[in-house]
Amino acid sequence: MLSKVTSFALNGLEGVAVEIETDINKGIVSYDLVGLPDAAVKESKERVRSAIKNSALYFPVNKITINLAPADLKKEGSHYDLPLAVSILKASGQIECETDGIVFLGELALDGALRAVTGILPVLISAKAKGFTKFIIPAGNANEASYIEGTEVYALKSLREAADFLTGERLFKPVQQRSFQSAKSLVNYDYDLSLVKGQKVAKRALEIAVAGGHNILLYGPPGTGKTLLARCIPTIMPDMTFEESLEVTKIHSVSGELSEEGIVLLRPFRTPHHTATTVSLCGGGNSKIRAGEISKANKGVLFLDELPEYTRHALESLRQPLEDKVITVTRAGGAVTFPADFILCASMNPCPCGNYGSANLTCTCTPAQIHKYRNKVSGPLLDRIDLQVEVDGMKYEDFSSDTVEEDSATVKRRVELARAIQRERFSDESVKVNSNMGEKQLKKYCRLSKECDEVLQQAYEALHLSARGRARIIKVARTIADLAASPEILPDHILEAASYRSYDAGSV
Amino acid sequence: MYTEREINLITFCALDGISYNCIHEVCRELNKDKPDYKRIESVLIKSLSAGVYNKLKAQYNDPTFRAEVLKKLDKKGITCVTVYSENYPELLKEIDDPPLVLYCKGRVELLKTKCFAVVGSRRCPVKALADTKKISFEISQVFTVVSGIAEGADAAAVDGALKTGNVICVLAYGFNYIYPTMNAQLLKSVESKGLVITEYPPETPPKIYQFPVRNRIIAGISLGALVVSAAKKSGALITADLAVDNGREVFAFPYYRGTAAGEGCNSLIKQGAHLAENILDILKEFGLDLSLPKEEELQGDELAVYNLLCEEGDLYMPVIADKLKKQVYQILTVISKLELKGKVVRLGGNAFSAIK
Repeated sequence: MLSKVTSFALNGLEGVAVEIETDINKGIVSYDLVGLPDAAVKESKERVRSAIKNSALYFPVNKITINLAPADLKKEGSHYDLPLAVSILKASGQIECETDGIVFLGELALDGALRAVTGILPVLISAKAKGFTKFIIPAGNANEASYIEGTEVYALKSLREAADFLTGERLFKPVQQRSFQSAKSLVNYDYDLSLVKGQKVAKRALEIAVAGGHNILLYGPPGTGKTLLARCIPTIMPDMTFEESLEVTKIHSVSGELSEEGIVLLRPFRTPHHTATTVSLCGGGNSKIRAGEISKANKGVLFLDELPEYTRHALESLRQPLEDKVITVTRAGGAVTFPADFILCASMNPCPCGNYGSANLTCTCTPAQIHKYRNKVSGPLLDRIDLQVEVDGMKYEDFSSDTVEEDSATVKRRVELARAIQRERFSDESVKVNSNMGEKQLKKYCRLSKECDEVLQQAYEALHLSARGRARIIKVARTIADLAASPEILPDHILEAASYRSYDAGSV
Repeated sequence: MYTEREINLITFCALDGISYNCIHEVCRELNKDKPDYKRIESVLIKSLSAGVYNKLKAQYNDPTFRAEVLKKLDKKGITCVTVYSENYPELLKEIDDPPLVLYCKGRVELLKTKCFAVVGSRRCPVKALADTKKISFEISQVFTVVSGIAEGADAAAVDGALKTGNVICVLAYGFNYIYPTMNAQLLKSVESKGLVITEYPPETPPKIYQFPVRNRIIAGISLGALVVSAAKKSGALITADLAVDNGREVFAFPYYRGTAAGEGCNSLIKQGAHLAENILDILKEFGLDLSLPKEEELQGDELAVYNLLCEEGDLYMPVIADKLKKQVYQILTVISKLELKGKVVRLGGNAFSAIK
């Protein structure tokens, strides 16, 4: 007998329907699986056999031929176990029911239990777009599937349950829809700006960075709170919308990094170690192309601690995604585009010994050493970092203890107001935030008064700025003006923006 | 154009393979009123192998080689000022081993002006760098500032004097090389606005022992020398010692005791060098006066921040904001303005200091 069951394959974040056709014939006992299965799919034979047997069902002793269509697409992963088992049961006549329009996903344990798999959410979204609405998935993936409206998802614990459900022997309720808003209200960030004492300059810079989507470099002596500041960036970013959340969840789902929650509610904060390779940052892989750290940081923050320690190659690879906000990973097997819309936050010491600008320790580096150290970060990359902020070298004891630090929520409100202004400004443009403005938008929205032009010219000469640095200053000044709700860019805004280019100016 | 005698000298200096000591022995002889050419020859024979000596002698006498040497220098835009030239600085002739040929790029006439050396160490506090830049600018209105091109204090001195263009940079290697490379841009500006000199033919690479030797030119050409920073052992101290040996005035910035970058300066003052806090301390010794152009008056917040920094010393940005009851970002703009006006210097770690 012949049976057909539907499952899905993932190409990057895009789901492709896979038909599993099983034919059972009389003949020499055999089990042939064709249609470009990878090792995990080939091995499924043993899991499927044991699972069927241990579910009080019968594994046919015949000639079994299984085809995974389309035959030219590589099938990877363990989520084909369940559809394979169902397909065999159906072909052998143990389940008699209609399976058209149902998508099966799940890995089988030897005892017939269903194990959670990765990539459920992107499959659900693509399948829904292709007209599939009914899904059978492992119970472990129930949360992840509960946010998609208009689907009927059954999260089952075992193959036995699946068989009973299909034959109608037992009834199961579909996974209950959960509201994104209520889930969001339950989670909170572990950090808050009020935890950071002092560092007012850096805090102000963070506010500007988030408000205009600018990348930021924090540099200063060790132990002055650079990492803590960076960790606070997501807390002052506007809350993720449902669409953003789904986009982020997709990537995390495919990477198998989804928490119990089943959806990513907080903006991601990724901190790849400085030994990270180019591929781990940008994504890649031989047969299956996986998302890299920059895509996992999508809609959030990519934090590179100790920037000069990263390999030059890895850092340079960030240049293009920083401009395009997406990365296309091309391999012999095909090309996949992942989103990579993140705020880059980098931190570094001011010099090799780390004590330049420190209150209580003396720097022992020569200017040449400092120059060399700072030159490790290439100009083109630095050009894409709009704000370069020196953190205070003050000792903690210097701060009066009774000062009340502003909390993240207050800053976030200001950021949201500035973002609203930008949304309105760019309503007919492709760009969304000030940092993404191109030459055209700069000319259109950042007209400088004569006074501003003079100030900018002065800064240009005094700070030894590059021509590219000049455009950066204007963009940052635009954001500062937005934060002040000023329609025009004022000389003061330019001056403040110029003060965030101190790294470029360097020492004599 | 060069005289026959000058061309002889330039050709001799262009010969490759004569040791440094040997050249100087020859120099000493040549600088006498009646040079003993026999002795020079014997010195050369002693120092070189017979084969090399004959080869160099042949080269020296070869007219095409001579023409080529001059042509090469000309092509690179290098002017030679020899000891026989009237452009040669008088003061420099007074030292023990005056260089035979000065290879120059830039305004050669600066050699005949009154010069003053401003030197210091590479490892120089940021504040001292800003002070150096300022005082060097002021000195350059009276004297021609002479320094090296090393990073740190020397570069700051040169940078400050560039505004007037009255600056001589003395290199310790030939014009074919640039060291340190981070100051390549600065060196280029000096070539166009001021003067770069060296006693080494263009092909001579930088060697560590050439730097102290070069210092004798900096000290020798100058009426006085200001040491802006120097650790216990510093090349700047060599310059100061040489200046003392030549009977020139030595000045030094004072430092707070125990400041590593200033120990050398303080010990100079202890030995009798003049303590220099500003340009007037220097001019006083030369019986000169300088009416400095009136500086732009600061106003409002700028004045408040500047005065605060003057009164309380170096302060961190949040402290300034606190004391003036302002938001940090408001102070940021004020500081930016002051920085642009050269009234305030960034010390690192968001600390600032006033330049008085």
